[in-house]
Amino acid sequence: MENIAQIRNLKKSYENGNIKALNGIDLDIKRGEFVSIIGPSGSGKSTLLNMLGALDIPDSGEIKVADYDLTKNKNLNEFRGKKIGFIFQLHNLIPNISACENVEIPMFAQKISSKEMRNKSLSLLEIVGLKDKAEMLPNKLSGGERQRVAIARALANNPSIILADEPTGSLDSKTSNKILKQLTRLHEEENVTLIIVTHDMNVAKLADRVIEVLDGKILSKNDDSLLDSEISI
Amino acid sequence: MSFLSLIFKNPFRNKSRALLSIIGIGIGIATIVALGAITDGLISSAEDTLHAGGSDFTVSSKEQDSSNMGSFGSASFNETWRDKIANESNIEWAAGVYVGNVVTKDDPFFIMIGLNKEHYNMVDLKIVEGHENTAENEIIIGKLASDTINKTTGDTIELDDKEYKISGVYETGNSNMDMGAITTLSTVQNLMDDEGNITSIYVKVNKDADVDEITENIDKKYGDNLTTIASLSDIEMVGEMVDMLNGASWAISLLAIIIGGIGIINTMLMSVFERIREIGVLKAVGWSSKRILIMIIGESVVITLTAGVIGSIVGFIGVEALTYFNLMPGVTPVYTVWTFLKAFIVALIVGIVGGIYPAIKATKLPPTEALRYE
Ligand SMILES: Nc1ncnc2c1ncn2[C@@H]1O[C@H](COP(=O)(O)OP(=O)(O)OP(=O)(O)O)[C@@H](O)[C@H]1O
Ligand SMILES: [Mg+2]
Repeated sequence: MENIAQIRNLKKSYENGNIKALNGIDLDIKRGEFVSIIGPSGSGKSTLLNMLGALDIPDSGEIKVADYDLTKNKNLNEFRGKKIGFIFQLHNLIPNISACENVEIPMFAQKISSKEMRNKSLSLLEIVGLKDKAEMLPNKLSGGERQRVAIARALANNPSIILADEPTGSLDSKTSNKILKQLTRLHEEENVTLIIVTHDMNVAKLADRVIEVLDGKILSKNDDSLLDSEISI
Repeated sequence: MSFLSLIFKNPFRNKSRALLSIIGIGIGIATIVALGAITDGLISSAEDTLHAGGSDFTVSSKEQDSSNMGSFGSASFNETWRDKIANESNIEWAAGVYVGNVVTKDDPFFIMIGLNKEHYNMVDLKIVEGHENTAENEIIIGKLASDTINKTTGDTIELDDKEYKISGVYETGNSNMDMGAITTLSTVQNLMDDEGNITSIYVKVNKDADVDEITENIDKKYGDNLTTIASLSDIEMVGEMVDMLNGASWAISLLAIIIGGIGIINTMLMSVFERIREIGVLKAVGWSSKRILIMIIGESVVITLTAGVIGSIVGFIGVEALTYFNLMPGVTPVYTVWTFLKAFIVALIVGIVGGIYPAIKATKLPPTEALRYE
C-alpha cells in the first residue's frame, strides 16, 4: 500500500536549539492506516502531530503528506483545509455560534452555498449522534458532546487524514470509549487515515500500529518499550 | 452560516466592550455630523442674505471696515450711489440698506436694518403680528429676534439711550434679516451716526438679463468705489470665515479619526488576544491568512459603522435640540447627503485603519502557539 505520509530525519528545536523537540524522526504511514503515538510527556508527540498537519515548520529533514511537500509548499492553509482534520484535547469550539455553525467553519474555503454548508454540517452531526443539538451553543453541551462536535468539524472537508491530539484526554472513560468508537468506525468505513496521540495504553492498543516516541525520536522495535512492559503512563 | 454573519456576530461577544467602542467613536461621528450641519447652515444663511428677497447681487463699498459685521466687513458709502445703480440698464430694482450692530440691554450685537418701506415687498417682508412702523420711533422686529430677546408687539426697546416701540413682527424667510429689527433708513443712519450713508444695495435685474454682464459692467464703471457680490466667494472675509469653519470641521474630524482609531485598535487587539486559541483553530481547519485578516478588519468596521449610524442619529438630534431650544438663533442647520456621507466615510476609514494592525497580529500568530495557549 502507498504511503500517505513519509518523514525522513525530521528535526525541530525550540529556544534557540536548546530544546530538541524532534531529533531525527523517520516514519512512514500508509493510506488508511490507524496509528497511535505514545510516549512520556514532553517527548515530542504533539510536535510530531503538528508537523504532520503543517501547523509547524521543521528545521530540517523531509516531510511529505498526501502529496504535499510540507517543507516547500506555500499553500499550507489549502493543505490543512483539504487534507487534514484536526481534533484537539480541548474542543476549541467558537463559543458564540451554534454546534452546526461550528462544523461549518472549515467549509468557508470551499465555494459552496450557506445552504449546502448547513446540510453538510447537519449530516456530519448526525454521524456523531448530535443532530438534535445542532442549534445549541457550545456551552450548553457536555464535554463529550463538544468533543463530538469537534470530530464532526474535523470531518467537514472530507479529510484524508485525521490527526487527534489526546482527543479523549479531558473525558471520562465511558464518554471516551464512545468517542473512540466513532473514530474507529470512521477509519473502518471511510478508510480515513487516523493518527491519535494518547497517554492511554488502552486507546493506543486499538490502533493497527503503535509508535513510541522518546526524546524526540521513534523507538525501534527492539528498544525497551512501554508497550512490552505494559506500563500505562 | 455566511462569512458575513460571523463577522456581524463576533464584535458583540463582549457586549460592554463593543458598546464602549461604539460610544467613543459615536461621539466623534456625532460631532462631525453636528458641525457639518451647522457650518452648512451658516454658509447657506449667509448666501441667503446676499440674495435677500430674491435680489441677484449686492453692491457694497470697496473699502473695508471690519468693525461692521452687519455688512460682511465693508465700509458704508454714500446713499446717492443707489440712484446711480438703479439707473443702470436692465435693473429692475435697487434697494439701499443700512445694516448695523447696535448695543442693547438684551443683545450686544443687535442687528438694526435701515430699509425704507417701499422696499419691504422686494425683500419678501411680511408682517406676521401688529402693523408696519409708521411713527419715527417705531420699529418692526424679526421673528427670530423677537423670540430671542423675548420682545414682541407693544413692547419697547432701548437703542442708543432712546426708547423705540415695537409696532409689529415680520418674517422674510431669511434668517439673517429675521434676526434683526427694521426701521427707516434715516433712523438707522442716525442711530449709527452715519447720516447719508448705506452699507449695501440689494439689486434685482430684469428678467432674462445676464447678471454676470451687469455686475461686470458695474465693477468696470464704479470699480474705484464699489464692488459687486453675487456669491459668497466674492467676499474675502466671508470666504475666510467659511474656510475657517470648514478647516475646524475637518480638524475635529481628523481628531475623531485619531482618537477613534486608537480606541478601536485597542478593542480589536484585546479581542484578538482573547481569541488566540480560536484563531489557531481557524488556521488548523484551513483558513487562509487573508480570510482571518478580512474577518478581523470586518469586525472592526462593523463596530465603527454601528457607531456611524448611532453617531449620525445623535448628532442630528443634538443639532435639532439646539435649534429647538433656540441656542443657535439664526442658524438653520442644513443637512446634505454629504453631511452624513462624510460621517460614514470617517467611520469606515477608522474601522479599516484601526483593524489592520490587530488583524495582521492575528495572522502572524503561529497556529501551534495558538493551540498551546491557555
Ligand atoms: N512552541 C514551543 N516553544 C518552546 N518549547 C516547545 C514548544 N513546543 C514544544 N516545546 C517543547 O518541546 C518538547 C516537546 O513538546 P511536545 O508538546 O511535542 O510534547 P508531548 O510529547 O506532546 O508532551 P505531552 O504528552 O505533555 O503533551 C517539550 O520539551 C516542550 O516543552
Ligand atoms: Mg502533547
